[in-house]
Amino acid sequence: MRKQRSLLIFLAVVAIISSIWFYVFITPSQQTLDQQMHDVASQLKCLVCQGESVADSPAILSQQMRGVIRQQLQSGKSEQEVIQYFVSRYGDRILLSPPWQGLTLLAWLVPIALMLGGILLLFLVLRSWQSQADRSPLAADRAESVDIEQNELAYYQKQIEQELATEDPVFSRPGSEVD
Amino acid sequence: MYFSDIGIISLILASGFAVFTMVVATLGATRELPQFVASAKRSVLTVAFFLILASAALIVSFLTHDFGLSYVAQHSNLAMPWYYTASAFYGGQEGSLLYWALMLSIFSAIFVFTAKRAPAVLVPYVMATLMGIETFLLIVLTTVSNPFVRLPVPLADGVGLNPLLMDPGMLIHPPMLLMGYMSFSVPFAFAVAAMITGKLDSEWLRSIRRWMLVAWSIQTLGLVLGAWWAYHVLGWGGYWGWDPVENAALLPWLTATAFLHSSMVQERRGMLKVWNLSLVIASFALSIFGTFEVRSGIIQSVHSFAYSAIGGYFLAFLGIVIVFSIGLFIFRLPKLQPEQEFDSVISREGSFLLNNLLLVGAAFATLWGTLFPLISNAIRHQTLTVGPPFYERVDGPIFIVLILAMGIGPLLAWRRTSTRTLRRNLGIPALAAAICAAVLPLSGIRDIWANIAFAVCSFTAGAILYEMWRGVRVRHRHGEPYLLALYMLFERYRQRYGGYLVHLGLVMLAVGVIGSQFFQVQQEAVLKPGQQMTIADYKLVYFGNIDRTYPDVEVVTAQLQVWHNGQLQQYIYPGSKLYASFTNQPTSLISITTYNLTDLYVFLANWNGPYEATIRIFVNPLVPLVWLGGIVMLLGGIICWWPQRKKRPISNRVGAGAVPGGVGTLASPPSQQQPVPDRVGAGVVLGGEGTLASPPSPSIESIIGHPNDNKEATT
Repeated sequence: MRKQRSLLIFLAVVAIISSIWFYVFITPSQQTLDQQMHDVASQLKCLVCQGESVADSPAILSQQMRGVIRQQLQSGKSEQEVIQYFVSRYGDRILLSPPWQGLTLLAWLVPIALMLGGILLLFLVLRSWQSQADRSPLAADRAESVDIEQNELAYYQKQIEQELATEDPVFSRPGSEVD
Repeated sequence: MYFSDIGIISLILASGFAVFTMVVATLGATRELPQFVASAKRSVLTVAFFLILASAALIVSFLTHDFGLSYVAQHSNLAMPWYYTASAFYGGQEGSLLYWALMLSIFSAIFVFTAKRAPAVLVPYVMATLMGIETFLLIVLTTVSNPFVRLPVPLADGVGLNPLLMDPGMLIHPPMLLMGYMSFSVPFAFAVAAMITGKLDSEWLRSIRRWMLVAWSIQTLGLVLGAWWAYHVLGWGGYWGWDPVENAALLPWLTATAFLHSSMVQERRGMLKVWNLSLVIASFALSIFGTFEVRSGIIQSVHSFAYSAIGGYFLAFLGIVIVFSIGLFIFRLPKLQPEQEFDSVISREGSFLLNNLLLVGAAFATLWGTLFPLISNAIRHQTLTVGPPFYERVDGPIFIVLILAMGIGPLLAWRRTSTRTLRRNLGIPALAAAICAAVLPLSGIRDIWANIAFAVCSFTAGAILYEMWRGVRVRHRHGEPYLLALYMLFERYRQRYGGYLVHLGLVMLAVGVIGSQFFQVQQEAVLKPGQQMTIADYKLVYFGNIDRTYPDVEVVTAQLQVWHNGQLQQYIYPGSKLYASFTNQPTSLISITTYNLTDLYVFLANWNGPYEATIRIFVNPLVPLVWLGGIVMLLGGIICWWPQRKKRPISNRVGAGAVPGGVGTLASPPSQQQPVPDRVGAGVVLGGEGTLASPPSPSIESIIGHPNDNKEATT
């Protein structure tokens, strides 16, 4: 019964939030020209400086490039088209992140693949550990461990209360802890 | 006779003593000769003495402007104020290595002084390893990268320090970061010692954890200071550019963080030994790799020291470290069996495994991105850049999941958690996240990713604060006022609550990063006197430029008025400094003013005579939280690591009664507490442990504030 009620509350909250999000995000967000220009410029590398994007660089060339980006966006090009324009003029080296094609695809895929592999490995390791644990002689009482836990905890709680009550809170120092 | 002669003599003597320590310590340990070990200890102190002497010689050479010394002539001049002159000591390649060697010797000396706290069997091997690293540094310092090389003809005046380094940040950031790199040597030395002796018990773990916490705290401070410096000096409105050198500093921090978490699993449950050792070794290897990468100039970076001769030495050393560690591993592997079995995925140890996967995954992705230009260059002879957009897309989601795990993890019990307790514990944080998710979009935050990220942050902050509140409430019920109760929680359970504080700091930092990442607004305009520019709620009115010329430096500043919501706030003077000796490298004076956690960041990009200026403005919301969060993290780290006062003698308060399920524990010697098969739950065995191992009496701690011991539920 309680379980059901909390589930209902949970669902209600999810519904409210998702309706708000839906309402807010369905209305098209108007990005200002400045924001769009910044988005594009932060994808491009400043060619005369070290390790800075066109958006961040104070160099004259970057200032001019920002001007070009603004013009092109004003003339109705999409962000992707503007980036393509710069790639066609300067090659891939102007991009700040490796493009999604050819060899440079590896830059993206290897970390993603390893992350997924790691999750899979973790899952397999955990499963084999757990099945080992289930086969071990201790497995029998593990099933009831949760119940025991509750009883034991009541017991300790009492003990702690006594302990705390008898102790002077300021001057006692029980040493280190384990956590 | 110059001071530099004292320096070079000290370096040579120090390397002699370092080699001597290695030999004597190893002999003392293998042949069991305590007097040899004692001699090694004194020899470590001697090395520290000579390195202090060498460093003092270099600093004195700087302060006396001995331009016959090549390093001094290249990195200082007569016009520099004395504090920058002295800090030029670590401003270049050779000096920074000397500083590193100095710090390593000082840490080794601290280790010798506190050696009583460490397991005695390990001490000689730890010293030998530390001095092995020291020997390598001293070889480099006396051969390829000697700071005491003299010029054939002394110069009249030096070249001066790179103007970017003439900043208050210079006085603290590089020494901190170098010290952070160096400090991973001590845990590494402990790992080597443990692999040689086979002593990987809880005592070892306690020592290595404390040193790792120290290293972690220093590295945290170094990273935050680096970000702060970049923010205040570089003028692009940000603080973290995913530059290869920044990444190199982040990598060991990530693996060290992973170790600090997974070592808790070993401490409690005796599992993951191999993994923990690998993390310690990886942290050290990554710090050496970072140094190699920075010094060799193989990867383009803003920080480049651009000296390639030394890179090879570090690469060779890295190779030795890796081969040596793997060899020891293979030798020791049979002893590294887990002592306990895994119970359930939904448990604290399960969440630590996830945490480790995420941290190591982030470290790998960052390393991969840093190295990828090299790989691509080798295969296709094409230079390309892996820049911020890459890391933001790959690491960003990992960090968000990490923050979520940070909120859930501490709510889970060791071994297994019943779904009922979990649900109860998740209620309040979930409520916090729900409120955040519902309110933020209505208050105008229209970015879906920013909303998710903020909701995750509020979940985790809610979880931590609720956890603290429960601890305080339990103590308050026993008659402690709230503030005292909070203080006592931190005082008694330092590691736990220090850890929560670190988490809270990281959440604050994350909120700052999210805010500035998603909601930074910027504008640029060319202004003439009287003209104004408006950005967000701010209006700036330009008046003109002021040009002041000093003997060695020219300072140009623009004068502007800041209006916020229609009210005049103040005058600001963003500007630019041009040093006479580095005319092609102006440094900027950035004006940063903070209004309600929002930074108004004004940068003078260009100017033309007294009446025209190009002004760039960034409005950076929440950036102050980044620094605040960094400070809180550091504070938490220090609380975790700060030594406890003298331990209390054995107390029998909780007594045997606390271990109804495992009476056998009482009879076993302290060093074998870990493997006890605890039938009833973590709290129980800990109760037993407290009674016999004199040091900890963690019984209270394991109950108060523990997720599955909510009072209402148990009484």
